[in-house]
Amino acid sequence: MTDSFSFEAIGTRWRVDTGAPLVAEQRADVLRLAEEYDALYSRFREDSGVSALAASGGFLPLPAHGADLGRLLRTLHDVTGGGVSPLVGERLAALGYDAAYSFVPTAGPEPSRTWDGLLTWTDDGVALGAPALLDVGAAGKGQLVDLMLEYLVAAGHSDVIVDASGDMRRAATGTITIGLEHPYDASSAIGTVDLGSAALCASASNRRVWGDGLHHVLDARTGRCVDTVVATWVLADDAMTADGLCTALFVADPADLARVFDFDYVLVYSDGRARTSAALQGALFT
Amino acid sequence: MTERPTRTLPDTLPAARTDVRTGQAGVRLSRRVLTALAAVSILGAAGCAGAEAEPPAPEAPTGEGASQEAAPAESTTEAGSAPDTGAAAGQAYEDGTYTETGSYQSPAGPEEVGVTITLEADVVTAVEVEPMPDNPTTTMYQERFAGGISDAIVGKKLDELAVDKVAGSSLTSGGFNEATGKIKSEAQL
Repeated sequence: MTDSFSFEAIGTRWRVDTGAPLVAEQRADVLRLAEEYDALYSRFREDSGVSALAASGGFLPLPAHGADLGRLLRTLHDVTGGGVSPLVGERLAALGYDAAYSFVPTAGPEPSRTWDGLLTWTDDGVALGAPALLDVGAAGKGQLVDLMLEYLVAAGHSDVIVDASGDMRRAATGTITIGLEHPYDASSAIGTVDLGSAALCASASNRRVWGDGLHHVLDARTGRCVDTVVATWVLADDAMTADGLCTALFVADPADLARVFDFDYVLVYSDGRARTSAALQGALFT
Repeated sequence: MTERPTRTLPDTLPAARTDVRTGQAGVRLSRRVLTALAAVSILGAAGCAGAEAEPPAPEAPTGEGASQEAAPAESTTEAGSAPDTGAAAGQAYEDGTYTETGSYQSPAGPEEVGVTITLEADVVTAVEVEPMPDNPTTTMYQERFAGGISDAIVGKKLDELAVDKVAGSSLTSGGFNEATGKIKSEAQL
């Protein structure tokens, strides 16, 4: 890698590595992609599209990639029996993971409101029958990884890694080795996987923790934090899908997801056991 | 759901011991028994596939193997032929590797699984299960979920590993970490 570009976006640290120099215009475009995405979907800023929906409902027009995100979220919602839902946003906020990061629960766990009858996600945008706080965190960061990588590839880069602090996608020859961070010890890894031209995303429930048993992964069906799975990793062709499946693995059986999606995974249960797809059986240290 | 069937096999094998003392017929018999056991064990392990077990009953055998299976007492009297197998005295099975095919009923129809068992001194020392279904959907499931649940995870220090990157959660959500850090410092007495 000859060039490396690091920046903060959507509340996390990003790093873009390219084999060819990343010119100033391309850096600016990468930042602009992040800003536009944040302006649509961030529930942590008052001027965002989803904040407007939360205030008064109505219709939020989305660019073409919004249709991809909506389709993925709907599929995840259906295959998990409602366990994954953008309507989990208001439940997260009620438990204290709100725009002000208050970390003070204002209500107990409750199921998210149901998608049908309230939320309509079309190819043009999102319509709400009533105000509701949406959270696309299940797959949004992954999609922004995809948007940046696809932009850079279209701009002529053939050797690119976009890494949003562990959610990453690579377009290059050969493979690199990625350590799977130990969910209970950030200085250790529990295994390694090789990443070619594909995406690897990770999710863990034990970092964003703000109270007794409260963390950022909720089962939308119950509104309760998921405590049986503590960490997931997914390899898939694109980062949006990998990110979404990382979330879905907290609330659904891998076999159910495999009927719909093509992916490999590692997941760690709270008791320290791990489960993997066959292709990743050798990925874990023994 | 993908626990290896090794646990059930040793429990069940002794029941067949007197049946297989000698020669080719003995080996053949053991294969039949092992196949039935393996099929059942796999069914137990793959219960999530909604499979229904074929009974492992000692179904009436046909052909020359029949006498061996049907009349175990006969073979026990022919102790003299035991050395032919090269097995140690008192050993019930010939050491070796046995491969057979088990079948089960999946939602997609009947499927087959290859089972290879290694026997040493009457002990099953290795079991390998190889999916070999006709149905492409099942192929995908079996390949993905021949993977399984491991024992407890084992950590190795990152500074002792040669990795290009790390994927985990410690670096994610800077906004969250910043906020919690602030709360910690504000909460400090």
